[in-house]
Amino acid sequence: MSDLHATAGRQATPEPPAAGNSHVTTAAVSIRNLSKSFDDVEVLRDVNLEVKQGDVVTILGSSGSGKSTLLRCINWLEQPERGTIHIAGERIGMNADGRPMSVKALARVRARTGMVFQSFNLWPHLNVLHNVTEAPIHVLGQPRQEAEARARELLDKVGMSHKQDAYPNTLSGGQKQRVAIARALAMQPEVMLFDEPTSALDPELVGEVLGVIKALSAEGYTMVIVTHEMAFSRAVSDQVVFLEKGLIIEQADPETFFTRPRTERVQRFLERHQ
Amino acid sequence: MNASAWHMLLEGAWTTLWISGVSIAMGVTAGLILALIRLARVPVIDQLLVLYISLARATPLVTLALFIFLSAPTFGLQLDRNVAGILALTLNTTAFNAEIWRSAFRNFSREQREAAMATGMTPWITFRRIMLPQMVITSLPGLINEMSFLIKGSPAIAVIGIVDLTRVTNRISAVTYEPLPPILVACVLYMAIIGGLVWAQRVAERRANRLAV
Repeated sequence: MSDLHATAGRQATPEPPAAGNSHVTTAAVSIRNLSKSFDDVEVLRDVNLEVKQGDVVTILGSSGSGKSTLLRCINWLEQPERGTIHIAGERIGMNADGRPMSVKALARVRARTGMVFQSFNLWPHLNVLHNVTEAPIHVLGQPRQEAEARARELLDKVGMSHKQDAYPNTLSGGQKQRVAIARALAMQPEVMLFDEPTSALDPELVGEVLGVIKALSAEGYTMVIVTHEMAFSRAVSDQVVFLEKGLIIEQADPETFFTRPRTERVQRFLERHQ
Repeated sequence: MNASAWHMLLEGAWTTLWISGVSIAMGVTAGLILALIRLARVPVIDQLLVLYISLARATPLVTLALFIFLSAPTFGLQLDRNVAGILALTLNTTAFNAEIWRSAFRNFSREQREAAMATGMTPWITFRRIMLPQMVITSLPGLINEMSFLIKGSPAIAVIGIVDLTRVTNRISAVTYEPLPPILVACVLYMAIIGGLVWAQRVAERRANRLAV
């Protein structure tokens, strides 16, 4: 397990540090002045967030607060109007001259993030093993044998190696999500992004997925997690971020956040979710 | 029917098979390419393609075959009958196939595409590795349907003098004065060809079940 973690931090290829922002190279994710609107509605307003290497950040907030949008901006599935995002020092989405990146360059930066979706989004025409090896083989150009060996290790880690030949439609929601986690890990990302990973699961299946994520945090993976699971957030986070109407209104370590919230808004939110 | 009649029938069946087969292969591919181009929504080209698709879908095959064969010399082209026949069948089936592919594209899961992009796949890799394999399976019922329409419509090319499986029965009965036996055999041969397609369709549908997540 520990050797897996050792290979998880891929060689960073930061762009030459421009004057004044060399500090961004240290963070796994660095979000500056991010704003995003859907039509006339401002979903994110001047959001700033740093995620250090090895940290787990959970993003909380009621639905419609912009937390999923924030997460989806990090790997540019949503394009913000203003602001910058750096993944391990490398800017995503835009070139230094402010023009959109080429699709190839964007794909290359995206490959340094891994994402786990609420509805799993496995590829149904591929079996479990090939869901995990598809991107390493066709994006990173790994030899099939090597990719499969590593995929088996990852499936073992998420407790799914016994299902490597199964197709997604034969799996339970919890099993699908664990495969989806292995698929994202296979790219050896700098940061793992989880978009409400247990919201689509039957209650009795939530535990197995949260268990896997907890194990990853113990291994030192950098993760940003949007979730509604308060106990989980408290147990796993280094930092808790609370979003309200597109603004970060509170940001603290879990102990402070859950026991001594500063704002009345967060106090009410926590009371409702205890 | 004597041996030479059987021989002629089989030759007619072969003509129908290879001309239809070539047209199907070209029509399925060209339809996919047209669907891709239409998705790009290039201004003038898009309108031209819409015009082509509605014209080709509205023109009877016989008329189209005649038009191509007879108009070619006007453009200084001396078209071989078989080439003209293949062209007519292809132009016709491409229009229908383009619509089948386009709907497969439009209905493709956005979530799966996002998952592909999130792993760092470029749009091209996403198309080739994630979308196309599934689009082939989901489109196959429609495509095979269209293939069997093409084969059943292929006697239209007899109008420009190609001796296909239907036309050959005429030739045989012109000698034997017994029209029934050859046409009966022709029916059975058509059924065998279409039967093969229906079997392929069933296999495809069984595989498609897996995609229903």
